[in-house]
Amino acid sequence: MGAVRAEFLKVKRSLSWAVVVLLPVAMVLSGAAGTLASGERPEDGWHTMWLRSVVFHGLFPLAIGIGILASLVWRAEHRGGNWNALMSGPTPSWRIVTAKAVVVAVLAAATQVVLLVAVIVIGSLVFGLPGMPPGEYFLISILIVLACVPVAVLQSGLSMIMRSFAAPIAVAFAGAGVSVVLLLAELDAAVFVLPYALIGRATQLGTGTFADTGPVTAGDVASIVIAAVTLAVLLTTATVSILDRRDTRT
Amino acid sequence: MDRVVANEFAKMRHLRIAPVAIVMVAAVTGLVMFSAITSPDFADPAARSWELLLGGMSLAVPMVSPIMLAVLASRQVDIEHEGGGWLLSQTSGITPGGLCRVKLVAVGAVVTVATVLQSVLVIGAGLLLGVTAAVPAGLWLGHTASVLATNLVVLALHVLLSARIDNQLAGLGIGVLGSMVAVFASGLPPWLAHVSPWGYYALVAAAGYRDGDLVALTPSYASVAGLGVVGAALFLLVTGSFDRREI
Repeated sequence: MGAVRAEFLKVKRSLSWAVVVLLPVAMVLSGAAGTLASGERPEDGWHTMWLRSVVFHGLFPLAIGIGILASLVWRAEHRGGNWNALMSGPTPSWRIVTAKAVVVAVLAAATQVVLLVAVIVIGSLVFGLPGMPPGEYFLISILIVLACVPVAVLQSGLSMIMRSFAAPIAVAFAGAGVSVVLLLAELDAAVFVLPYALIGRATQLGTGTFADTGPVTAGDVASIVIAAVTLAVLLTTATVSILDRRDTRT
Repeated sequence: MDRVVANEFAKMRHLRIAPVAIVMVAAVTGLVMFSAITSPDFADPAARSWELLLGGMSLAVPMVSPIMLAVLASRQVDIEHEGGGWLLSQTSGITPGGLCRVKLVAVGAVVTVATVLQSVLVIGAGLLLGVTAAVPAGLWLGHTASVLATNLVVLALHVLLSARIDNQLAGLGIGVLGSMVAVFASGLPPWLAHVSPWGYYALVAAAGYRDGDLVALTPSYASVAGLGVVGAALFLLVTGSFDRREI
């Protein structure tokens, strides 16, 4: 737990809150702006709100957001002599890797919570939509949080390998783009290979858009859960073995 | 001056600027192709039109460009923070503002090639896919030039952001927000799209849906020209102020 606590301390004063709060709020606002400008209410109520914020968010901004968070978490280690301190410290590689990934995954989960709250607040206050969004959206939000875990591990690994802040984010963008194409081509199996496809698939759940057929089936839920857990374990193992083979830098 | 620009190109090799630019071109071209092929209009060979591809461009460019431009600018500028490059350049006679201007020229050249290339590739794809109508060369040229002008202004903004704010999170975060503005700007009233540089991606659209039909549109050349002039003036002003700052 010590390593995780140390990592949270490191991000405490970074600008991570900007990604966690601003990104989802801007997402919902920009999705709502078009509807607001035309002076109408969303045609299909909560469904339209969800489609314009969460589904669009899952196409690529979510992957990039996680990429930014991961770069932020690893940024400190690539500065000054910190890398050598990390390499010569007594903390085992697996603890460093999991602690970093946990921080990124928790921040990604917080992003999802902010997004959900923003959808509810803007939907009911700005558009005056009745009641709350359908209950299944809450379940889907939990699945999205789970689907973010392997992406967090992967991006954390990329930011560990690459010293640049921007390069892993470009990889996230390219990966998200490829995933959108694969999902549109109805290659659902992509979720077991590409973590980016997993968040794309999870955000589209129950909407009938892109790769989704509409109703949420037990099969869909099971495949997302299995893929998330398997990918997270595999990617963590790979990242640990890479860090084990790294050395100090002069 | 030439040697300083050449030096920036030398830096690009290790920064992998070319692969990032290639991702940008491939993403735009791929998205256009994909949106065209999956469109119901495309099923009928006789109905395949340039408007379909231009409409795809007007969707793909705002989605891809803001983020990739942020990445390109951040890569090229961040090394100066990492390696104490600002001080080194200044002691060898190139002011921080001057270095920013040189970086815009060098990365701008890459972005120019990428922007022209993505247009040419989409035209080539259209010809391969058997669009029978004549290529609307004037409109295509105007659209490409307008996108290029917008791209260069957004790139200039990101060069300044990456140079001024050491933490590259700021530039990239603004790039992501910019891509949202760009994508949703087509739904905004035109005056609101004029407010930020990303809104101009919607103003330069060469095709779009009007009352459910896909029609060719004329990019707002006057608006883009205005953006270019204002952008250039602000860039010179801000880089000029960098020159007078102590580092």
